[in-house]
Amino acid sequence: MKERPAHGYLFVAPSAAVLFFVALCPIAFAVWLSLRRFILVFHDDAFVGLANYRFLLRDARFFSALGNTVYFTVVSLAIELVLGLAIALLLDRATRGRGLLRAAVLVPWAIPTVVSGRMWAWMLNPDYGLIPRLLPVHDVDFLGTPGYAMHAAILVDIWKSTPFVALLLLAGLAGIPDELYRAARVDGASPRRTFFAITLPLLGPSLAVTVLFRALDALRVFDAIFVLTGGGPANTTETLSIYAYKTMMRTGDFGYGSTLAVATFAIVVLVSTVYLRTIGRSAGVAR
Amino acid sequence: MAGARFSRRALLAATAATATTSCRRGARARDAVVFKHQPLWGDPAPFHAMVADFERATGVRVITEVLPNASDALHQYLLTTLEGNVADFDVLVVDVVWVAELARAGWIADLSHAFPPETLRRELVPAAAESAVAFGRTYAAPWYVDVGLLYRRTDLVPEPPRTYAELESAIHAARRVSPELHGLVWQGRQYEGLVCNAYEAIWGHGGESFAGDRLALDTDAARRGVGYLRGLIEQRLSPSTVLSAGEEESRRAFQSGRTVFMRNWPYAWTEMEKPGSPVRGRVGISALPGERGPAPSVLGGWQLAINEHSPPALRERAVALVAHLTSLEANVTMAVHYARNPTRAAAYEDARLKAESPYIASLLPVVTAARARPQTPYYPMLSEVLQSELSAAVSGVRSPAEALSRAQRLADHVMGARG
Repeated sequence: MKERPAHGYLFVAPSAAVLFFVALCPIAFAVWLSLRRFILVFHDDAFVGLANYRFLLRDARFFSALGNTVYFTVVSLAIELVLGLAIALLLDRATRGRGLLRAAVLVPWAIPTVVSGRMWAWMLNPDYGLIPRLLPVHDVDFLGTPGYAMHAAILVDIWKSTPFVALLLLAGLAGIPDELYRAARVDGASPRRTFFAITLPLLGPSLAVTVLFRALDALRVFDAIFVLTGGGPANTTETLSIYAYKTMMRTGDFGYGSTLAVATFAIVVLVSTVYLRTIGRSAGVAR
Repeated sequence: MAGARFSRRALLAATAATATTSCRRGARARDAVVFKHQPLWGDPAPFHAMVADFERATGVRVITEVLPNASDALHQYLLTTLEGNVADFDVLVVDVVWVAELARAGWIADLSHAFPPETLRRELVPAAAESAVAFGRTYAAPWYVDVGLLYRRTDLVPEPPRTYAELESAIHAARRVSPELHGLVWQGRQYEGLVCNAYEAIWGHGGESFAGDRLALDTDAARRGVGYLRGLIEQRLSPSTVLSAGEEESRRAFQSGRTVFMRNWPYAWTEMEKPGSPVRGRVGISALPGERGPAPSVLGGWQLAINEHSPPALRERAVALVAHLTSLEANVTMAVHYARNPTRAAAYEDARLKAESPYIASLLPVVTAARARPQTPYYPMLSEVLQSELSAAVSGVRSPAEALSRAQRLADHVMGARG
């Protein structure tokens, strides 16, 4: 291995500085705030050590937000993967109008989340929304009924993110050499066998990256749910990000709000590290 | 090509010029009073005329700047700018429930010398005066008020119900004629509006806001009040859709003609009476019903305050502007042109207001009986607690008794641990 010239560091210095100021500094500041009692309105600003974290461990609202976030992530991600894979396989087969189809599929992903959240809120409106009209039972208040509201939010996320999943998987499919499929046909393998023996294993790295991207997004979900329900009814759709936002921006409690933000950050880091170490490594993402 | 290059250069020059002027403006002392307010809707001309009158009479220049309409966004804006000791605006609007909080933080100026608490109590409707005073001092001047009202379809219910029992039998009577009608719509979504609806129900059952220094939540009256709201849904007197409704959702449900009663703020009246409204001419308003006769409404509305960090040289002019905008004359203008309820009791007797907005003049008894939500600097934190627990109670996640005892514990924690 060649020795690295010293001026190499000089070349990376600008990017390193940018990363330091826009990523590391805010995180360090949030950690520092999370160790303080810092309430804007009361001009409270005192070091309290781990008191905020001790409160966090007894905070029922934090655990319900954590549960909501995990449920949202697991359910939406599972459905998005299945649907996204199906769409990717179809798009991969399409011979004519492929570019157009691909662009059309991406439309939900391209719409700003706040806009699509508003749009779905109107479509789900029990009085004059489209969806309750189409259903056999009227008068179902999806966004106001505990149990339904979270699934409505999951539906919106699936609608929005499936195209993204499909596109990533489509790129993975394009990378699988055609010879393998031809060889399989020569050997007389059934389409089912081809799918499970060739497509799925070779799609492994793409799947792994897709799951990671989507899981990190979903664990931090804020905008779609905030617009749809604001976290209600009865906090049944409140995610970690929404709880942290409300604590900081509505009540001005930046100390405990930062604790929530740091906890969310730690969970996301933990999930991605464990994931990369286990599934990711076996799928060949992180080597 | 040459044209494109030229215009790009012109654009650059213009940008540079703007940058320099704004720098200069920041560096040099301002001489105009900057007034930040939320959009008033409607024709801006009467409002601008009101400001222009002030400019003519005093020679003070006023710059008006519009803030976001959503109250949450506005609160967030004020928290972040005022915390940063921003000095580039002088007069600002604050919600009635923020006065104690912003005063405690030291972000809005003490105005007791210009608007002594006794004067406010003498001239304004009681709850409006109470909302402007915190810790015994005046921190804001009430601009206009809002109150919860009961809207009813006069073709279905000729006489307004005074009690919950009368309301219920009126709904049953209307349904005997057309069974598909909804009963009463209100605001049950998890947001500040739910807190207002709940307080009205609690007060309607004889409850109070405070018991000593604590919020009175784990009480019999509160349990019956919140239980009443849940009962409305369980007994199908209210559609379950109220659980996701804010003001506008309720207003649309009522205006479409499928509902007998609605609880809403006064703004909905203007919409009801617009040409093309399906219920035009068939809507009446009254005080909210209670257990034994009308219940007090929640008082909402907006007040004018002065930024503590605005330049001292502008302070007197800013106070004069606030006085001008909250005068009797301004009260009447705001009522006639923007359907905003006056804060001054005398305005309801004003001949011009009576002639042009008889509907507003008729609200005096409701406005006089209205009560303020708990006046405390902890209000934003308490409201967070109340919103989630009340939402749990009305949507049936927890029983009202359990939700209120949890709310009491959390509220005590908020007020105790941070006192």
